[in-house]
Amino acid sequence: MLQRILLVCITFSVPFLVSAQLDLLGISNPEIGITLSPSYPSPGEVVTASLDDYAGGVFGAQINWSYNGEPILDATNERQIQFIASSAGVESIIEAELILAQGGSQIIRESIRPVFMDIIIEPQTRVPDWYLGRALPSLGAQVNATVLLNDGSFINPQNVVYTWRLNKNVLEGGPVRGGNQMAFSTPRGRSMVLSVTAADTAGEVIASRLILVNAVTPELAFYEKHTLYGQRQLPIDGQTSVIGNVLTLKAEPFFLDTRVYNNPDVSEWEINRQSTDNGIQNPYEITLQRGATSGQTLVNFHVRSLQEVLQGAEEAIVVNF
Amino acid sequence: MKRLLFIIVGLIFILLLVGVWAYFLFFGTPNPPEGEGIFSNFNFGNTTDPTVTIPEVIETEDQLITDVASPESLRQLTTTPVAGYQEVLSDGDVRSVRYIEAGTGHIFSIDLVSGLTERVSATTIPLATKGVMTKDGQYALILSNSGAQADFIVGEIIPENETLRNFALPDYATSFAVTDSDEFVYTTPNGSELIAKAYNPDTNELRTLFTIPFREATIRWNNTTAGPHVVYPHASSRLEGYVYTYTNGQVTRQAASGYGLSAVGSEDKLLYSAQFDNEYTTIIQDMGTFKAVASPLTVVPEKCSFITVDPTIAVCGITLTEYSHLMPDVWYQGNMIMNDTLWEMDTQTESATLLVNPESATGRQLDIVGLQFSTNDRNLYFQNKLDQTLWVYEYLPTIESIITDSE
Repeated sequence: MLQRILLVCITFSVPFLVSAQLDLLGISNPEIGITLSPSYPSPGEVVTASLDDYAGGVFGAQINWSYNGEPILDATNERQIQFIASSAGVESIIEAELILAQGGSQIIRESIRPVFMDIIIEPQTRVPDWYLGRALPSLGAQVNATVLLNDGSFINPQNVVYTWRLNKNVLEGGPVRGGNQMAFSTPRGRSMVLSVTAADTAGEVIASRLILVNAVTPELAFYEKHTLYGQRQLPIDGQTSVIGNVLTLKAEPFFLDTRVYNNPDVSEWEINRQSTDNGIQNPYEITLQRGATSGQTLVNFHVRSLQEVLQGAEEAIVVNF
Repeated sequence: MKRLLFIIVGLIFILLLVGVWAYFLFFGTPNPPEGEGIFSNFNFGNTTDPTVTIPEVIETEDQLITDVASPESLRQLTTTPVAGYQEVLSDGDVRSVRYIEAGTGHIFSIDLVSGLTERVSATTIPLATKGVMTKDGQYALILSNSGAQADFIVGEIIPENETLRNFALPDYATSFAVTDSDEFVYTTPNGSELIAKAYNPDTNELRTLFTIPFREATIRWNNTTAGPHVVYPHASSRLEGYVYTYTNGQVTRQAASGYGLSAVGSEDKLLYSAQFDNEYTTIIQDMGTFKAVASPLTVVPEKCSFITVDPTIAVCGITLTEYSHLMPDVWYQGNMIMNDTLWEMDTQTESATLLVNPESATGRQLDIVGLQFSTNDRNLYFQNKLDQTLWVYEYLPTIESIITDSE
């Protein structure tokens, strides 16, 4: 008998337990509210505020919008308005006053405190010293990413909890306090989606962003190297000539993983399709000497990792002599 | 009888010749000027014949002469690649421009009045690729070699004996420049950050200016250590960039971001270009209000410099063409060569004025980089990226009108 009474009690208490969990999770939506798009706008960004009404309570009501207490006159009765987010770190309030048809009014309010959230990508791939641009990620190469939050000055990252996701995979196993820097390997695919959410230590989200990072394949270019002036900054376009007795060529594999660049499994020069030893320690340079007769030759260079075969590049040029 | 007479006359003639020879041998040897042969000048004296043209003798003494007197406003100053340059002032008057020869690190001075070029330092800095000099022309900071072999040489120029008394900078510098107060400013890596420092070669004082919280940063240094210095991640068409300005050590995030972003700024205005909807576009932004407008011309900010007397006017090398959606990468890699014309951009009125078309003026194609104004904006110096040669454009006439207007 006691068992039956206990079973009945448990059976009838289950819906209440589930309901309590839903409330705890905050899944239940408010009946009327303002939704911002984007949810965490940058300073000066155009923001769309939408009045959401899931219960139909707005029906027949007059809607008066105001921004920081100033009425927006031409937005009366609009369900959606646009405004410019305030400066970094300055809080602003968007309000919708509902004057209900059956009498009475209701004010719906949403506050915004925009911060700049910059995600700086620093791929660890090869570019020459004189190159003014940034290295780009290639398959398997390490990428260092840094998040900078700025609300007028840089926010101390030690007071912020960061959650990193790469193609939906959470990095570092979850949120990391002070973790505004992250290193990861470039995954397969032409692009990767990197998202970061920054929250204060109480869990309130400060900013959230998602960026698409395109991956590239390494590219090889040949440059002439002068004993006096160093490497020229204009690449050789298809063919070149030996002026004087010798010509030093530098093969420059743009966006090759720096680990592969420093220790390549394959680094091979070919002259007229014959493998040749460049005779020096630097595998990326070769010095060609003019022969007794004139003509032209095909010079080819190949660099590659055997562990990650897409980490490599090969190119050829014609040298007239 | 006749035979005897001939013999006597012949002997007398021979004796006369011997006498003349003996006289010239002991008393009559000409005393030619140094460096000339005995018979190179017969001392006939100056001619009075007005139809004779006597060529003017130019005493070059094996020195180079640079054409500084021609009426053209645009002139090529060197035929060899240069690593750095600086107009040097003396007693308030513009007198000379000094340049560091690429490869050797030798320093030359071009007198802007006479055009005379002289070497002021013969100390060789091998593989010198980049350098700056103080405005008093006394000190130089030169990058030698590259990568792990890079050395940063600070040198004091001793013109008397054509040497450079030098020592190595204690830090590796990712970027460096010189200020109006003759301090070298540079950034050096520290973990995942860059530290900006100022070094005074006169006092040997080294101080920290500010910290940049990432490493792959491009810095457009201001003429003063106070700033504003414009900082952004190295530009790439495939990665997003952001602009920060550092003034008196304080950072301000400018409302400027975009793919392929690079920028140049003054105290008042920011000029930046980036890819917007796959179109390389230039924006003019007010530093104070963040108000942004589209520029009348698309520019590559690395080819621009604001003038010193008016922070709203920039001069840019501009190629009027459709830019690739891969800008600025293709230009950085050297896969795109530009044929620039020189324009003055008024960021206040959002207008542009053509200053000179180098190809029309000189017949040369210029890919302009490294624009640098003299202190009074009289001259604009720049390099041709194609051969690293040094050029000058006289900017004074325009600046005089600006000063008159502002007064």
